[in-house]
Amino acid sequence: MTQAATTDPTAVPGPLQRPPTDWVKIAIDLAIYAGVIGSLAVLLIPVAWTISTSFKPLDQVFDYPPQFVPRDVTFENYRAMFDPVLGRMFFNSFAVGIISAGVSTIVGAMTGYAIARFRFSGNDAVMLFFMATLAFPIPMIMITTYIMFANFGLLNTYWAMILGHVVITLPVTVWLLRNFFDQLPGEVEEAALIDGAGPWYTLFRIVLPMAKPAVSSAAIFVFVTSWNELLFGLTFVSDTELRPLPAGIIMIFLQEFEGQWSEMMALAVIVSIPVLLIFVFFQNAFLRGVTAGAVKG
Amino acid sequence: MQIAIRKQPGFYAGLVLPGVLIVSSLILYPLINGVYTSFTNTSPLFPDTRFVALDNYQFLVTESGFWESVGNTVLIVGVSIFGATSIAYLLALALNTGLRGAKFLRTAVFQIWVVPWIVIAILWAWLFSENYGLVNYIAIWLGFYDEPFKWLFHPQGSQWAVIMGYSWRSIPFLMVIILAALQGVPNDVNESAMIDGASFVQRQRLIVLPLIRNILVVAMLLQSVRLLQEITLVFVLTKGGPVNATMVLSLFTYKLAFEDWEFGLAAAAAILWLIMIMLLAVAMMKFVLRPTT
Repeated sequence: MTQAATTDPTAVPGPLQRPPTDWVKIAIDLAIYAGVIGSLAVLLIPVAWTISTSFKPLDQVFDYPPQFVPRDVTFENYRAMFDPVLGRMFFNSFAVGIISAGVSTIVGAMTGYAIARFRFSGNDAVMLFFMATLAFPIPMIMITTYIMFANFGLLNTYWAMILGHVVITLPVTVWLLRNFFDQLPGEVEEAALIDGAGPWYTLFRIVLPMAKPAVSSAAIFVFVTSWNELLFGLTFVSDTELRPLPAGIIMIFLQEFEGQWSEMMALAVIVSIPVLLIFVFFQNAFLRGVTAGAVKG
Repeated sequence: MQIAIRKQPGFYAGLVLPGVLIVSSLILYPLINGVYTSFTNTSPLFPDTRFVALDNYQFLVTESGFWESVGNTVLIVGVSIFGATSIAYLLALALNTGLRGAKFLRTAVFQIWVVPWIVIAILWAWLFSENYGLVNYIAIWLGFYDEPFKWLFHPQGSQWAVIMGYSWRSIPFLMVIILAALQGVPNDVNESAMIDGASFVQRQRLIVLPLIRNILVVAMLLQSVRLLQEITLVFVLTKGGPVNATMVLSLFTYKLAFEDWEFGLAAAAAILWLIMIMLLAVAMMKFVLRPTT
């Protein structure tokens, strides 16, 4: 079950080592601490360096030896980010991400509910197929969808990106929600149906509210994936006004910022903040989405 | 609970309709059409589409840089996955010893997973920059070499820069999965082995690894598939260069399709890529996964 990934690691007691004397135990504990904190420090150097550089004036960025704590802290690099073009990209990324999350989660919930509640022999094959589609080369999917969207006049609209992001996330949302519905006892629904509630009402007003953990995991997963996704925004949209962050940053900011490392790092920080906040506030839901498929649900 | 389809045919049809529409038009049709396109010279640049049989495949396997990008992909993704898994395994073992603050440390590591790829690309360019990059500074300070190394302008150097990016981004995911798996390993098995005198390495190899093997393999496979689809880092950092050293399959196929507008060739490359993943997945399921009892 995906829950296992989110349980407290400290909850399972019992050290792997059973040392003969106390001081050996203390030494081992200290060594483990030192090892973990040491590797953690190495792993987090890139993050620390980004934040540090983003607060430096440009002329101190190239200090040698490098300074992790800025000599002079400046907010100038962040001030330079108040830019209408960048603001527009943020808006586009939010719009595409939120709509993709809504569409992918609702469609995933309906499909997952159908698979969980109407059993038929091909159920497992359908789920396996869904997971296998994650491996379909995205450029292959884009070739045909590009031609389709061109024919339907969808190129250069939000919908071209939204549909792309829904396609690459739908397998995971179906997987998450189906697993949740599988474990949800059906009594409440039966009672609602017997009381004369329609099946649609039961699904949207009774079942989905109970599925809030799975729904939030799915929506967060889609939003974060969409926030990250480069190709659809790069290829299916040509209008600068419509570009989301990754594509827009590549097309506009990378040349403009050539060598301006402190401003680039400020950009890196503010692009990460929305997803970082989601992670901080919805950690468990976030982890469930990320581990879907690997830890059996 | 089971709902009889016969009783609620309209409801059932309504439930599956959007999913079926999306899957059939935007996943299945592109797959079938991709196979078909791979046998044609389709390109948005000219209207005249012809059936060219196996010409695209023949060109790919003989004259293009296809095999080179397959090799790069195997090297970059393979080294990243095995490197990241090893580090993640050690971290997970340490966090699973009942360490105080383990949950906090896990969260600290996991925030790496949240960093968007575009940010990693910008950040890697800064870290690996020749004269002022932190990587060169630290490596020189540690005495690995004396002169600033042009990481991103050297074939192997750029491959390693990409490998470090891929590994860095993969460690948190693998660590969380492995940690969850380790928590499912019964403690008494481990402890009785310890009393019997099994060393740390023996216990990992003979007891822990076999127990978490299936989860580990699935996690590695999932992460490999993600890294195969990943394109932002190479697109921004190295553009596949220098001399195609970081030209991985995703970038190779994408460039064929949307820079050269050779849809036929790109479809053929994508189909070969898909076949290779399928073979890998089948082989892993057959030879590595153990049936759970």
